[in-house]
Amino acid sequence: MSDDTHLEELRGQVRDWLKAHAPHGWREAYKSMSHAEFADAQRAWFRTLVEGGYAVPHWPAEWPGGGRSLAEQKVIYEEMARADTPRLLLSFVSTYHAASTFLECGTEEQKARYLPAILKGETWCQGFSEPNAGSDLAALKTRAERKGDVYVVNGQKVWSTMAQYADKCLLLARTNSEGPKQAGITFLLMDMKAKGVSVRPINQIQGDQEFCEMFLDDVEIPVSDRVGEENKGWSVAQATLSSERGLTLMELTYKMRGALSRVAEVIRRNGLEEDRGVLRDFGHLVARADSACAIADRFLQNRIDGSEGPYDASIVKNTYSRVLREYSLLGTRLGGIDEQYRAPIVYGDLTTGNWMADFMNSYAWTIAGGSEEVQRNIISERMLEMQREPKGWVL
Amino acid sequence: MTIERAELHDAAQKAFPADQLKPSREESWPLIAEMGWLLLPLSEDAGGLGLGRDAAAAIHFELGRVLSTAPLIPALLAIEALGAAEELPDQAAWIERATGGELITLNLLPGEVDVKTSGSIWLSGTLPCVPDADLASHVLVIAKGIAALVPLDSEHVSVSERRLWDESRRLCDVTLNGHHVDPHLVLARGDAAHDIANRLHGELQLALAADCLGGASAALDMTVEYLKTRKQFDRPLAMFQALKHRCADLKTQVVAAEALLWKRATDEDATVTDLGALKALASDVYRMVAEEAIQLHGGIGLTEEHNCHLFMKRAMLNLQLGGSLDLWRERAGRQALAAYAE
Repeated sequence: MSDDTHLEELRGQVRDWLKAHAPHGWREAYKSMSHAEFADAQRAWFRTLVEGGYAVPHWPAEWPGGGRSLAEQKVIYEEMARADTPRLLLSFVSTYHAASTFLECGTEEQKARYLPAILKGETWCQGFSEPNAGSDLAALKTRAERKGDVYVVNGQKVWSTMAQYADKCLLLARTNSEGPKQAGITFLLMDMKAKGVSVRPINQIQGDQEFCEMFLDDVEIPVSDRVGEENKGWSVAQATLSSERGLTLMELTYKMRGALSRVAEVIRRNGLEEDRGVLRDFGHLVARADSACAIADRFLQNRIDGSEGPYDASIVKNTYSRVLREYSLLGTRLGGIDEQYRAPIVYGDLTTGNWMADFMNSYAWTIAGGSEEVQRNIISERMLEMQREPKGWVL
Repeated sequence: MTIERAELHDAAQKAFPADQLKPSREESWPLIAEMGWLLLPLSEDAGGLGLGRDAAAAIHFELGRVLSTAPLIPALLAIEALGAAEELPDQAAWIERATGGELITLNLLPGEVDVKTSGSIWLSGTLPCVPDADLASHVLVIAKGIAALVPLDSEHVSVSERRLWDESRRLCDVTLNGHHVDPHLVLARGDAAHDIANRLHGELQLALAADCLGGASAALDMTVEYLKTRKQFDRPLAMFQALKHRCADLKTQVVAAEALLWKRATDEDATVTDLGALKALASDVYRMVAEEAIQLHGGIGLTEEHNCHLFMKRAMLNLQLGGSLDLWRERAGRQALAAYAE
């Protein structure tokens, strides 16, 4: 069977499966939920995907639902975008960041203990950023002191996605303050129910509570829950952060392309079908969204071909996040005064047609996951090879 | 990228080196014919290379990089029309003439041509933006149900070149004063003529988009190189983050538009409006890059001896050729609106 036939067969299977199993009318349902009910709905959708074998296509073949090639994963995510299924926000860190950390850097014992639990619904969050360590992550100050068989951890973490529902946390802590800041970081696995962990959801400007801050007060973590060696956590964190390159952005970009229908709805609702200025702005947005899809495709193809550049992801991310902003701004503008009255939001979704909420949520992609500015540094310094500023400036 | 396309990029870069901008038209044109690029629009049956239309786009991209002065865009469109001209007597001979380097040009913006039919056909009106009419033997006229070749030395045809800001291109107004169409020079009539017009309109958008993105890449490369070399405050300008970030944003725009170019160039289902929307995006990106290139070069960018202005002037011209930004954006908006009504 040729590759193409095989992929088209898979596409048919996924499409049929989604028809039968994708949550129907989830957008409306999400609007009337509490945030905790939203988390329950996310757990249920994840469970359904695990049962169907589509939750972890990127895992190795020995895991149920794993062993899919990149080309197969692309088909699966294209179909999910097409079927407009809910984004898996709650389990995202678990299936990507946590899993790839264990697979690439974990001990056999850690793999055996944590990977099956993820498929059963154990949820991970990430404890990386701190109030004074954002773009400059390696400047983190949360301390971990070794005392016998445990590390005692003190500090504060922030921007931990869905941490209020997490069972476990991927934690970066400082075990050494001497020498280069990257060299004193240790990667730990923290139980969120451990004594001394307190979590506070952050109220976002659009009314969602996607992120949390965490306060760690003498939290004890067994030494066996360390990944990699002491003070070698920075390289483990690189494995964590490079776990999902391409597929998520591809799925989101295609979802945004599909969601242009919501702009068309606003144009009609407000009788702007013959307004040439509006048509031009819409036409321009369509071309921008098409080019975002094209670059997401090309980037994934580079990965499949093994010709990926260290800056590909930055280009795709900055393109997607900008077009997402333009998309939500056009909707907000065309929606008129109606958009200035509060309406229920769809938790966790980026293209809901609640335009003010979508606009505010679009910052998640220009700020989170390496800000637009950090990506610009990567593009200019690695791709265009523009000179770096000398290190070690002191103010 | 297909191997064929990669080879074409490579061959074009060798024939037209990046450091020789605005190469002479008189030397470029025979070289283009010699390279076999005039065969690009033709199927293998018609004596062509049987490559996809991304092949021609690859050459337009590379010629855009060097601000080519040769009329490859109208030439390839005319050859494509000849390939589809089943009504044309001596079709094969015409294809041979045109692919051998005899230039048939055409207008890159719609003209107002009046067609009078009473036994014979007479054409009157002006075709704007006809490239290199001084070098061409014929102009291809497509108007109201007729596609025909008009010899430029005919008695009732006048050609006047209009000087452009962009000196890498030469455009003429061709005026037909009751030109009597030679029935032997008719390519197609009725729906067949309409189909050719439609096809050429789409191909023109693709060619211009490729020219834009080749030019944008070259202008950005040139600018980044300048910033890496030029020093102020004891450091290269490229080290200033304020400038770096602007270059990164331009690069992102160019790369994303280019991804769409190659996707559409191989998409058989792309409509004329899809290709026009691509050209609008590409020409806007070219304008952005060329505009910033002058600013980032500083004073030297305002001098005639520096190359910055050449890119800027071509970018501004490309915004108009084949239909304006506003026209294509509006059409793309209408098309998308209609698609979502279904």
